[in-house]
Formats: sequence, C-alpha cells, structure tokens
Amino acid sequence: MPRTSPDPSFAPPKSAGERVEQLVELRLGKNASRRNFLKTALAAAVTGATTPGCDHPAVKELLQKHYKELTAEEKKEIFQRLEQRTYQKSGVRVRIGDPPPIDGVHYAYGLNLSHCNGNRRCVEACARENNLPNDPEIRYIRVLELDNGSMDLERGTTAYDHETVPQPGKFYLPVQCHQCRNAPCVKACPTGATWKEPDGIVVIDYNWCIGCRYCQAACPYHARRFNWIEPAIEPQHINPDQGYLSNRIRPVGVVEKCTFCLHRTRKGRYPACYEVCPTGARKFGNLADPSSEVRRIMENERVWILKEELGTDPRFFYFYA
Amino acid sequence: MTSRLPLHGVGALFALAWLGVACHHDVDKQTAAPAVSGAPVKVEPRAQLLATYPCTRCHEGRTPRPEQYKLTEFHRIRNEDLAHGDSKAWCYQCHAMEDINRLKLANGTLVSFDEAYKLCISCHGDKRKDFESGVHGQTAGYWNGVKYRRSCPSCHNPHNPAFPAMEPENPPGSPRPSDTL
Repeated sequence: MPRTSPDPSFAPPKSAGERVEQLVELRLGKNASRRNFLKTALAAAVTGATTPGCDHPAVKELLQKHYKELTAEEKKEIFQRLEQRTYQKSGVRVRIGDPPPIDGVHYAYGLNLSHCNGNRRCVEACARENNLPNDPEIRYIRVLELDNGSMDLERGTTAYDHETVPQPGKFYLPVQCHQCRNAPCVKACPTGATWKEPDGIVVIDYNWCIGCRYCQAACPYHARRFNWIEPAIEPQHINPDQGYLSNRIRPVGVVEKCTFCLHRTRKGRYPACYEVCPTGARKFGNLADPSSEVRRIMENERVWILKEELGTDPRFFYFYA
Repeated sequence: MTSRLPLHGVGALFALAWLGVACHHDVDKQTAAPAVSGAPVKVEPRAQLLATYPCTRCHEGRTPRPEQYKLTEFHRIRNEDLAHGDSKAWCYQCHAMEDINRLKLANGTLVSFDEAYKLCISCHGDKRKDFESGVHGQTAGYWNGVKYRRSCPSCHNPHNPAFPAMEPENPPGSPRPSDTL
C-alpha cells in the first residue's frame, strides 16, 4: 500500500525512556526531556491547579481521570478542550458529546449474506461518518470476497477490484467490530481503556489508551486499528457531530474501532453503514425489543456468527433470508 | 418475560411501565421491556417520486389496448427492458385499465402507486412476511421510533426487477484524490 513517509519526529525510538520523551514532546508540542517531564508531572501533582504549567491543556490531558470517574463538569471541560483543538488545527467547529446508553437496550447487528453484493458503500460511509483518515488509510469495515461454499477466510480477499459486483461464484462477507459480549480485546487491555457498555457496545477512551496494541492482537475479527501517525482529515470532510467514545478525531498512538456509531444510535438513529447500504442487507436494532427486526431475524432466520468456536459471543451476526 | 406480573395485554404492560412499577427490579436485562416497542412503521410513499405521475396527464382520453404490441414511442424503453414474470407479462397485468393512475392487485383490487408494495406481495407471497417484518428490504427512520420501509420499487425496477450489478467502491489501499474521502 502506498504510504507517505511518517513524521520524522516519530522515528522508531531506541529505548523505552526515549519513547516516553518522544510521546511527551508530541503531546506537549515542545522539547521535553524525561527529567523535565517528570518534574512537570510532579509539580502538577503536588501543587494542583494553581501552577501555571498545570493549566496547559496537554498537562491536563496527561493528568485526566478515567472516563468512568469523570464528573459532568470535567467531561464538559474535556470536550471543550478537544473541540477547541480541532478548531485550532482545522478551523472546523465540532460538537463533542457522550450520549449515555439507553436503559434496557441491547444492540444487535445482522447482516444478510444473501443480499450483500460487496459494493463497499458501507466502508466509505463509515469512513466519512467516523472521521477516518485516508492517510494512513483506516477503515473499520473489511469486505471479504469468498468462493461460494467456502468459509476459508484465509483464502478470501478484501482487494477485489471488479468492474461490477457481485461476481459469479463469489459471496461477500463484511467484517467489522462484533461488539462481543465476551470480548477478548477488553480482557487484553492492561489499562482499562476499553470496556463494554451496558448496551453492549465496546468502547475506547482514546485519552486513556496507551497504544500497546494488545487489544488489536487479541481481536479475532481484525476489527481494531492503530494510529501510527497523526490522522489527517481534510477540514471539509470532518464530521462535526462527534462522540467522545466514538468518532471524535483520534490522537496519534491510540487504537480505534467501530462503535456501532454510538453517537447516532444512542439518539435513535441508525449506523452510517446501515443507512447507506443499497441492498438492504444490514439490519440493526434492539435485541431486547420483541418487535425489532433483529429480534425477528434472530428468532426465525438461519443465523450464524463468525468464529463461533472462540466463544466471543458477538452482537454482530450473519444470516440468510 | 412478564410472568411475574399478574396482568395480560400489551396495553396493561405499557401502562405499568409508564407508572414505573415494572421497572427497577432484578429483571434480566436481556428480556426487560424495551424502551420503545411497536413503534409505527410506515411505507415510504412512491407516487410523488415518479416523474410521469399522474399518468392521466398523457393517458387522459386514450383507449387502452389490452393486447401485447410493440411500443415505439414514450414507453419504448420500458418495453425493451420488460423482464418480469413470463413472456405474457404486459402493462395491464399490473396497471389498472379502468384507472391508469392506479395499480391492480392480483385479486383485482385497485391501489395507489404509494401502495405499490401491495401489488408486489400479491404475487410474491414468500416475500410478504419478510417485507412486512423488515427482514427483507430497507428500513429508514429511527430504530426506536418511526420507521420507514422503502417500497419495493425503491430497489427493484418493477419492469426488470432483478437487483442490478453495481460498481464497487475502490479497494483498500488504492490511491484517492486528496479532495475526496
């Protein structure tokens, strides 16, 4: 894949200490030796908000609490800071919120494989909705082209480049985050930066993620992506409707993934991939609602889940109807 | 799921939920009463989307010809494209001869173009259940509010209903112009 050379300031570090220094420099935007960093952090911890250095947004971010421990006021301040940063960088006014899970709702996503024709509209709509950069190219949905009758994922390809789809003898298997009930990524995370919400969506606090990528290695669906370099999105393509736990613009060095567009779905809307699908293959709804489409499909259609043998118990399922 | 409640009927259940009686127990969340259930489902209207509607703009005062013949003027493309059902399929199998602004179901009932899906399911009974329940087709709107089912002709050309092949989006890793995403 063609890729521009990464920022020289992000060359591979020689030691762990240098890496820390480098990350601090990246976040603070100024030259900071390890000693200076420790001094600043210590001073901030000891003297609290009275020290001028402590008001620096990057210091505040370094000292930020875990998302679950934040009060409403703290959240508001953080969201404003992030909105301000986007405005400074790109001149775009965005709104960051964190709609809470709706009580009694358990999301599920069904995908009708007899309708999906591999047109990849979902992939691109997802990219636009979720502020995914082209460089590096990050996409949450991968559409695998497989031979009819085969479930050998190793022999499937996402790189198919036909004039038209579907091709005879092939079927198409879109894969994205399965929002597992028994999520290996959540278990792998050493910092608690990723967790399962009450409505079933697995989320990431990008400000808490240390970028170790254990979750990426743990995910059997290849659903997680890592920001190796600062994601660059053209200002005209920034989606201003942003969620703190979903589609806000990610910093460099954190992991991200599909969140069922929670900034939309928790307000009753459908995910972007669902709305764009021209074949009607995608079904989304509340599994706890007996009248929902997904519930009906789950009860009546031929449903299966990917890599069932791993016991991940996904909320994303496939069916034929 | 509601066996602990000595009440029957959806209405009673909703009344209870409203009063906040049925909530906040150790009800298994997986089967707890949903936030919104049985929200209205509407079928997207079609007539207003049709460029040539109302048909009487041209067909007013014309005598309908029930037999098959070669259309050479206005509906020529429809004629050439027509690939629905057997070779005997013809305009007045679906369009109402007695009222050209309406469609005729298999049982002879006349319906408006907004209810085109009723015409489709009057023959395609196997799809009826799936369409009505939202398993087949597209649903827009809100998953917990008003839903709009797209009518069958939104995706299937009624005169040539096979879902057409499409050009896919670029494969991953392909160069993109900087002004497009």
